[in-house]
Amino acid sequence: MTLSPAIRRISASMLLPAMGAGLLLMPLDCFAAGQKIERHFTVKGRPVVMIQNVANGRIEVKSWKNPEIVVSASQPSNKIGLDMEQADNRIDVTASIVDASAQESELTENIQLTVPEETELQIKSQSGLIYVEQVLGDMTLESVGGDIHLREVSGYIIVKTTGGTLVCTLCGGKLKFDSVSGSAQILQPSFTNVTLYTSFGNILFDGDFIRTGIYSMKSGRGLVEVRFAGNDSFDLNAQTASGTVDNRAEAFLKPDSHGIRHSASKYAKGLFGSVGNGLAKVELSSFSGTIRILKRD
Amino acid sequence: MQCRDVAQVIEQEGFSLLPEAARGHIAGCASCSALIADFERIVVAAVQIPAEVEPPARVWIALRAQLEAERIISEPRIAVPKESASWWPGFGPLIRGRVLATAAVALLVVAAGYFQMKRKIVDLPPTEPFAAAGTRLDQEEMSLGPIEAASLSDVSPVDNSLRENLATLNSFIKECRKRLQEDPNDQVARDYLAAAYQQKSEILAAMMERGRSVN
Repeated sequence: MTLSPAIRRISASMLLPAMGAGLLLMPLDCFAAGQKIERHFTVKGRPVVMIQNVANGRIEVKSWKNPEIVVSASQPSNKIGLDMEQADNRIDVTASIVDASAQESELTENIQLTVPEETELQIKSQSGLIYVEQVLGDMTLESVGGDIHLREVSGYIIVKTTGGTLVCTLCGGKLKFDSVSGSAQILQPSFTNVTLYTSFGNILFDGDFIRTGIYSMKSGRGLVEVRFAGNDSFDLNAQTASGTVDNRAEAFLKPDSHGIRHSASKYAKGLFGSVGNGLAKVELSSFSGTIRILKRD
Repeated sequence: MQCRDVAQVIEQEGFSLLPEAARGHIAGCASCSALIADFERIVVAAVQIPAEVEPPARVWIALRAQLEAERIISEPRIAVPKESASWWPGFGPLIRGRVLATAAVALLVVAAGYFQMKRKIVDLPPTEPFAAAGTRLDQEEMSLGPIEAASLSDVSPVDNSLRENLATLNSFIKECRKRLQEDPNDQVARDYLAAAYQQKSEILAAMMERGRSVN
């Protein structure tokens, strides 16, 4: 049996290292449930931590200066299995349901992590709070019903929930939030790029718009509220199909400083203008909710 | 023969029919033996990989909705006739003379025919944006079974959350569609409808992934 030249080249250059890595991926441990578990993993540089929790429960991630990841978990019942494995700089933590007939109250797995300050995270959970504090690195956080709280986190942050709410305090970098009914509160941020979308939740952005930053906030039926600083500089474009635009910053909002004439579509209500020199770009939208713009005290 | 020579032979001729010299080297070389063993394992594993599966419809629906939302592709817009009531008073003074009047009548006949044809085209029922995607998603939803009240004690809060959000999304989709029926060119409504379909497809995927019926 022969392989085509292309396949052979791919095999030699890619598959063999991958297979070698695969050998390292053998599960290190599969812990018995019903106990408190703690594992330590030594890492180098910027590790990647992946957590998949198909059970319910809280996931908490904090940082320290050590090149080590500590995973500790507690289970109230033995219906949950917890696998942890290390492949070089990647740590996988997976909580899975062992007994499909278990009651909902038995399907809880709380996981606490301590990671180096510069760590990338991928967390997928069902319900229960995801809390991340003082971590610098790209992260993707997904939850169906759980809330997601971030504090002093920086990187390219992607948050996806069905009903969970995002509270992001003192965070920086880039943020993308997508939710069906969850709300988003962005407090004292230093993001240069923000994309927030929720169909039914509310959006609150309370903080400075970085010059050259791009900010897009949309809610189908909810309230979109922006509280900006007096010395901010941004172009504003607010549009709603059947909602209302509540402009409480008329004194600060001037006609577009770049001379572009805007007009809302025939059936949409729009508000266009600039604050300061209009350096950042802010787009607000709501289908049938309220858009509120105000300067904070 | 050296290890790199063996690698070259494998790259050029495969590893099933190696020349005698290569086989002799491999027999005494742990590294090359391991390489050959790895290749054999790859071949065995490749045989066991299942045939490519047709992705579910929701993947294409979500993809299309996303592309349309980002305006990378678009459905044909409906041309809406513009109001044309103010041209007659300005045109009237021009047809005072006989020649002008004849020319004007001819022009009117042509114009009337044109407008009649145009109106017939425009009066056709407008194509609803993402109609095909919506139908496919409805079919996917139906295949999950009827959605009942989300207060059953034996249903997890997560499943409840998915059901409730799906129901709310459906009502939002109706609202956006109604808006688009009133004004097919409302871009805001169009964007929200695309996003709602996208989210609906993701909720349906999550429900299927959880492997639980919504019965």
